[in-house]
Amino acid sequence: MSEPSIYFSEVNERQGVFSRRTFLMGGLAGVGVLALAGRLAQLQIVDADRYKLMAADNQFNFRLVPPPRGLIVDRNGVALASNRPNFRVMLTKDQVDDVDATLDTLSLISPLSPDRRKAVMRDIEQSPRFAPVSVMDDLTWEQFSAVNVRLPQLPGVTADMGEVRVYPFGGAFAHVIGYVSKVSDVDLKAPGAMNDPLMHNPGFRIGKQGVEKALDRELRGKAGGKKVEVDARGRVIREDPRGDIKAVPGKEVALSLDADVQNRALEVMGEESGAIVLMDCRSGDLLCMVSTPSFDANRFVKGLSGPEYKALAEYERKPLLDKALSGTYPPGSTFKTMTALSALESGINPEERIVCSGGWFFGGRTFHCWQKRGHGAQSMHDAIKNSCDVYFYQMALRIGPDVIARTARAFGINQIFDIGIPGQKSGTLPDRDWKRKRFPKDPVWHPGESPSFGIGQGALAVNALQLAVMTSRLANGRKALNPRLIKSIGGVATPSGADVPDLPFSKEHLDIVRGGMAAVANDVTGTAYKQSQLGLGDVKMAGKTGTAQVRNYDKATTRKASEWRFKDHNLFVAFAPYDDPRYAMSVIIQHGGLGGATAAAPRAREVMRVALLKDPEVRARIEKPMPMPEAPPAAAGEVEGAAPPPPTDASGQPSPFPSSPPPDPQ
Amino acid sequence: MTASALTRPGERDRLIVKFGQIDWALCVLLSLIAGAGGVMLYSIAGSSWTPWAADHLIRFSIFFGLMIVLALIDIRVWFALAYPVYGMGLLMLIAVALVGEVSLGAQRWLHLGFVRIQPSEIMKVGLVLALARFYHGVSAKDARFSWKLLIPAGLIGMPALLVAHQPDLGTAILLSATGAAIVVLAGLDWRVILTGVVGAAVAVPPFIMFVMKDYQRDRILTFLNPENDPSGAGYHTLQAKIALGSGGLLGKGYGLGSQSQLNFLPEKQTDFIFATLAEEFGFVGCVSILILYAAVIFIALRIAATAHSHFGRLCAAGITATFTLYVLINGAMVMGLAPVVGVPMPLLSYGGTVMLTVMVGFGLVQAVRVHRYSEVTSGKGTLV
Repeated sequence: MSEPSIYFSEVNERQGVFSRRTFLMGGLAGVGVLALAGRLAQLQIVDADRYKLMAADNQFNFRLVPPPRGLIVDRNGVALASNRPNFRVMLTKDQVDDVDATLDTLSLISPLSPDRRKAVMRDIEQSPRFAPVSVMDDLTWEQFSAVNVRLPQLPGVTADMGEVRVYPFGGAFAHVIGYVSKVSDVDLKAPGAMNDPLMHNPGFRIGKQGVEKALDRELRGKAGGKKVEVDARGRVIREDPRGDIKAVPGKEVALSLDADVQNRALEVMGEESGAIVLMDCRSGDLLCMVSTPSFDANRFVKGLSGPEYKALAEYERKPLLDKALSGTYPPGSTFKTMTALSALESGINPEERIVCSGGWFFGGRTFHCWQKRGHGAQSMHDAIKNSCDVYFYQMALRIGPDVIARTARAFGINQIFDIGIPGQKSGTLPDRDWKRKRFPKDPVWHPGESPSFGIGQGALAVNALQLAVMTSRLANGRKALNPRLIKSIGGVATPSGADVPDLPFSKEHLDIVRGGMAAVANDVTGTAYKQSQLGLGDVKMAGKTGTAQVRNYDKATTRKASEWRFKDHNLFVAFAPYDDPRYAMSVIIQHGGLGGATAAAPRAREVMRVALLKDPEVRARIEKPMPMPEAPPAAAGEVEGAAPPPPTDASGQPSPFPSSPPPDPQ
Repeated sequence: MTASALTRPGERDRLIVKFGQIDWALCVLLSLIAGAGGVMLYSIAGSSWTPWAADHLIRFSIFFGLMIVLALIDIRVWFALAYPVYGMGLLMLIAVALVGEVSLGAQRWLHLGFVRIQPSEIMKVGLVLALARFYHGVSAKDARFSWKLLIPAGLIGMPALLVAHQPDLGTAILLSATGAAIVVLAGLDWRVILTGVVGAAVAVPPFIMFVMKDYQRDRILTFLNPENDPSGAGYHTLQAKIALGSGGLLGKGYGLGSQSQLNFLPEKQTDFIFATLAEEFGFVGCVSILILYAAVIFIALRIAATAHSHFGRLCAAGITATFTLYVLINGAMVMGLAPVVGVPMPLLSYGGTVMLTVMVGFGLVQAVRVHRYSEVTSGKGTLV
C-alpha cells in the first residue's frame, strides 16, 4: 500500500498476462475445434465410402433360405419322395440366458423325453454359439402357436416352418430311393461342403443312400438368401424383399419304376427275404426293384434311435441290405438258359438226346439229378422244360467253362450297370481265367468243376438285377439292353437303355432257349406250369425256375434243415408275353426253402400280372373276348426245379473240386 | 440503457438492470445445442419423446432457469462461497471414498437419503471457484513462481487424486486440466509450464503401466491399436468411426442412422451422441454443431476478458476451459483420436448431472458478465 504505483502496475501486469494467455487459450481451443473438423472431413468425406460399406455390412444380413428338395416321382408322376411342412423350434445358444430353463419352458408345451433332451443338449454343446439348433420337430399347429405366443419371454428361441422329407410309400422304395438324414462329419469333409452355409442349416438333410445320395446335387437345389436388416444383437428388424435372392428348388427326378408294380412286389414278398426286379425288355426301364424285408425310410429322416437301428442291423433277414443290387446269390437252374445257349453256340445239336437216369457218374463220383427217377432221354428243349441236371452237367463238361462264362457275360452276368445309384455287387462268374487268379495254388480248371457251373451252382453268384437283365436280353431277341432306373432329371430324359447294339447270338438259338422257357411255364409237364398261369387269355408267360443250394447236405445238418438260414434259395426268371416279350423279371427268395416254382414263380406271376395289366397294348389284347383255358388239377410231387442232390463220390474221398459239394458219407 | 444511466450508484444492482446485462447470445447458443441434443435423442429412441428427449429438454429448461437465477447472484457472493463450496466438495469426495455407492464398478455416488449426489461434479465448479479465489489475492510475481504455488497444486491435486481413485479417470483428467489451465492463465512462468509438460510426458507411460486399472489400460492400448480387438474393447471406437464415416457429407437423414437405430453404436444417447448426429446429419451437421460450440467458447472467453475483477476473469475462463475440454475430449474420443474415457458432449449428451454442472458453470459465467464492473475486495471476501 505504501507504493501504490507498484500496486497498480502489479494489477495491470496480472490483467495483461491473463488477457494474453486467454487469447492464447482461445487460439488453442480454436485449433482443437479445427482439428476435430479436419478429422471429421477425413472420416466423412475422404473415407466415407469405406465406412458406408462397413455400416451396410453391419446393417444387412442374408438369412439362408433353404431350397425345397426336388421330388422323386415314379414313371407316372406318383410322388415317391416329397416334402411336407414341419413346424419346428430352434434355439441359439448365444442368445439364450439359461438353456435348461428354456428347455423346461418348452417341454411344458411339447413334452421332451429325457433321451431327446440329452441329444438336444449334446447338439447345443457341439454346435457353434451363433448357430441355431433344432430343439423340437413336427409340432402340431396348436403347439407351434403356443411356442410363438411365448417367444417374447424366450430369448434365443425361434419357431419357424421348414420342410421335411417324406416317403409316402414308407418301405416300398427304401432301397432304391434311399433316404436323407442329418449332415454328418463325413459329409462335411466333401470338397466345398465345409464352407457351404446350407450344410450348417439345422433343418438341412443330405442324401445318404440310393437315389437321394447319388443325385443329391440335383435334388438339393440352390439356397437363396433373404435380405434382412439386423440390429447389434442379430435380431431381424426388417425384411427387404427387393434384396432377396430366390432359392432354386431342387430338380424333380423321375424314376422308371412303377409304384403299382413295386407295391405289389413288396406285398407278395410278405415276410420273405429276397428281391424282385422287373424291367421293360424293349426299353430297359426298370419297373420294379424291390428288396425285402424293407424299412421305413421316414424313420431315418428324423434320426433313428440306437435300439431302432440295432434292431434293423441285427435282424438276420438284413432289411438294410439291398438284395436286388448288393446281395449276390447262386442263380441255380435259371442259369441253365446260359448253358443251353452256350452249347448251341458251340455247335451242339439241340435235338441230340442225353439219357438222364437220375444221376451221372463222372470223375469218380455221381452227380445227381434233382429228379431221382431220372428224366429219360432229353433233348435241349426237354432239358430246359424239365430242368434236367444231367443234361446240363454233360453239356457244361463238353463245352467248358469259358464259353459259358462268355455267354453269361454278354447277357449281363457279372456286370455292373450304370443305373445311377451305387451299391451294385458284380458277384462271381467263374472261368479258367478266374480260377487262375483266384486260386494261385490250384490254378487249373478241373473238368469236374464244369458240371456244377453248368447248372448255376458252385462259385457262381449273381444279383437280381443281373438275372433280370439276362432274361430281358434273352426275351427281346438278342438286344444288349441296359437297365435304366432314372427316367429324367429336371424334365431332361436320360438316355434309353435300348439304344444298344445286338448281341452276337443267332436268332434260331435264342428261339430254342425261349421255347424251352415257354414250355417251363406252359407245357403241363413244365417245372412251373401251374404257378405260371397268368389267367390273361392268350398272354402267356415264359420262365425258368431255379433252386440254389445253401447248406451242405452231407454234413449231418438235417436237424437244422428247418432253420431259416439253412434253407435253399428259390429263384424264378420270367418274361411275358412270350410271343411278344414286353417285360422280363427275376425273383430271388432267400432261404425260401421250397422249389423255385413254388416259392418264386407265383410271386413272379402276380407282379407280372400287374405290369401287363398296366400296359395299354397288352391290355387291349387281353380284353379281346377269348376262351379261357382250364388249368389242369395240380399234381403233388417232388419239388420241381430244385437243386439236385449232391454228387456222391464212389471212393468216399474228399472231393478234389473246390466248387463241388463234398461227397456223400454213404 | 445508456452508459450514463449505468454509472449512477446503485443502478447496476437493480434486478431489471442485471437482467439486461445477461449475455442473451450465449443463452441462445446454449439453447440451440441443448435443442439439437433433444432432436437427436428423439431420433435415437425411434422417434419417441421417451425415454430421453422429453427428459433432456425439460431438464434443460429447469437448468436454464437456474442459470438465470445464478447469473443474478452478486459476484461477491460467489467470491465468499468459493472456499466453502470447494471444502464441501472435498469432504463429500472423501465421504464417497469411504462410504460411497458402487455403481458400474466405480464408487462415484453419495447417497444423502433423499438424493444421490456425484461430488466430483460439484468439484468441477468448486475447483474453479477456489483457484480463482486464491489467485485473486496473489500478486503477479507470486503467481509466476513462488512457494505459494504449492497451494493451488494442493487444491487441484487432492480432488483429482480422490476422483481418480473412484476410479473416474475422465473426470480426474478434466479436473487437473481445468486447474492447470487456470494456473497458466493466472500467469505461471513459462519455464515452469515447459518443465511440467516435459515431466508429464515422462510420467505418463509408467503411470499407464503401473497405476491404472486393467480396464483403463485396455482402453488406452485399444485406442493405440483399435483393430486388435474389434468385438471387445475396440468395438466402441470402431462402431463410432463407422457411424461417423458412413454419415458422409450430408448424412443418412433424420431418424435413418443405421448404426445408432440398430444399436451397433454403444452409449449412443450419452457419450457417443455426437456419432449419432454425425451419422444422420453428416459433415455439414457436425461442423454446424462445432461452430455453435466454438461460438460459446468465444463468447465465454470474451466475458472473461472483459471482467474487471481478477476473480471474475479466472472464474469465467476456468469454466470455459472445462467446457472446452469436454468438447475436445469427447470429440476426439468419438472420432477415434483419443481413448474411450467417460466424458460426454456437454448439453448434447443425455445425462442430468453433467448438464447441471455445465449450466451452473454458465450461471457463474453469466454472473461474471452481469457483475463485470464490480470490484471484489481483495483477500477477505466479505458478503455484501
